[in-house]
Amino acid sequence: MIRFENVGLRYGTGPEILRDVSFHVIPGSFHFLTGPSGAGKTTLLRLLFMSLRPTRGLIFVFGENVSDLSAAGRAELRRRIGIVFQDFRLLDHLTTWENVALPLRVMGKKESDYREDVTDLLRWVGLGDRIDACPEILSGGEKQRAAIARAVIGRPELLLADEPTGNVDPVIADRLLRLFVELNRLGTSVIIATHDYGLMDQLDAPRLVLYEGHLEIR
Amino acid sequence: MQFIADIRDYPWRNLFAGILPARFQPKTAQLVPSASIAGNALTVVIAIMSFLACLTAGAVYMVNQSAEAWVKDISSEITIELDPVNAADIEKKITLVSLFLAKQAGITHVKPMTAEDSAKLLEPWLGHSEALSALPIPRLIAVEINRSNPPDIKAISEALSQNFEGVTLDDHRQWRTEIRTLTRSAALGGIAVLVLVAAATVAVIVSATRSAMASNREIIEVLHFVGANERFISREFERHFVGLGVRAGIVGAVSAGLVFLLLPSVMHVLGGGPVTATEMSRLVGSGELDLKGYLLCALVVLVVAGLCMITSRVGVIRVLKSYA
Repeated sequence: MIRFENVGLRYGTGPEILRDVSFHVIPGSFHFLTGPSGAGKTTLLRLLFMSLRPTRGLIFVFGENVSDLSAAGRAELRRRIGIVFQDFRLLDHLTTWENVALPLRVMGKKESDYREDVTDLLRWVGLGDRIDACPEILSGGEKQRAAIARAVIGRPELLLADEPTGNVDPVIADRLLRLFVELNRLGTSVIIATHDYGLMDQLDAPRLVLYEGHLEIR
Repeated sequence: MQFIADIRDYPWRNLFAGILPARFQPKTAQLVPSASIAGNALTVVIAIMSFLACLTAGAVYMVNQSAEAWVKDISSEITIELDPVNAADIEKKITLVSLFLAKQAGITHVKPMTAEDSAKLLEPWLGHSEALSALPIPRLIAVEINRSNPPDIKAISEALSQNFEGVTLDDHRQWRTEIRTLTRSAALGGIAVLVLVAAATVAVIVSATRSAMASNREIIEVLHFVGANERFISREFERHFVGLGVRAGIVGAVSAGLVFLLLPSVMHVLGGGPVTATEMSRLVGSGELDLKGYLLCALVVLVVAGLCMITSRVGVIRVLKSYA
């Protein structure tokens, strides 16, 4: 599904943020991506999501070499990936419901076909009473859950999450982890970038550990 | 086939919704907020451009219509001019020439004009004066010809020269050539103005598109992250610009239509006398647009909307490619 071969990345003429990163993600797998702050976790997620191009090495996503992909080809692959950003990236002028429904709208689905699904998912993540609220008035935790709901609504083949439980209490964190596990059981590959050892200890999943630009699998 | 699929899958409903003012648009249709696209200043600029384009197109159309009617009118007539060399013989000569012309094939009507008729033709330039009767004004015979079976003008002209002294035939060819030159010049001038207006509109929309994309960069990024392709994103922008183009275009076209409607009255209020009205009428006919003229203004609205749509689409896609 995902293959990195000796991937290196530097911004401009600066030092390499990632060095000779190689790993393989098979369909239906679950990984944690961890490492100290500034180790390059977010950068690695951006490479996975094709919003950055490697300075060297090869990246294959769903069997496609991302360096050879056109903008339309990258957009097509992104529809098969759900992503949760650390800063949520919700659109402030849309309601929570509209934000969550965005991937389905982009896919060209009819609103009547997904109206109930979006509402059900929002209820499940505890935002049933915030459906018509705009992100500006949501708390950090609520925004986090809305961002996660947006990432999973399209039942992606690969889910990438950057610190998805960083802003929520332990109960909600546990609930969100269960959502990720459930998605994984349904066939979605999951990669969660986190510092939270408590979260990682709850699940027996391989850890991709980034340290000083190098990747180690434990 | 891809082109047909593009037309079939185009979100026409959203596009038409974009024409409505922001407060009447369905809320779910706005991934890019209207308020972030363009202010009233841009609408005013596009409305002025449309107004100028409609005014130019309408004026060229009127001149063209008037010239066509004029050419048609003078093509079905020839004029015989009799030099006033011998005033005593002139009436007799007019009768003889008229009788000669009436016998020719292809001539349907011969109308000798009196000395007063000839003098009246000079009145718009020389005014009404008794002195006109003292001037050696040429006498004229208006001859209507059968346009479906025209006479041999050259043979008639030669016969008149041989049989009558000081009689010449004018088939208005020079006038027709001059009118056509005038019409073509007016049309070329109009096209030049329209091209300039279109270029200015494109430049304004390009600038507005860049500005709109810069202020909506975050939205564009999120749309990219959820898998939106360039076509989807450009549609979200272009529907706003099409709406703006249609609204501003209608304002411009209606304003231009009012100018055409009120022009004769305005001229009257400003003191234009019968001579001014006559001159105006010669140049642009009645000074009012007919149905086709108003349809031309409607076409200008569509062209303005189309320009807005294409320019914004190309602008968005170029900027998106620069992001990549």
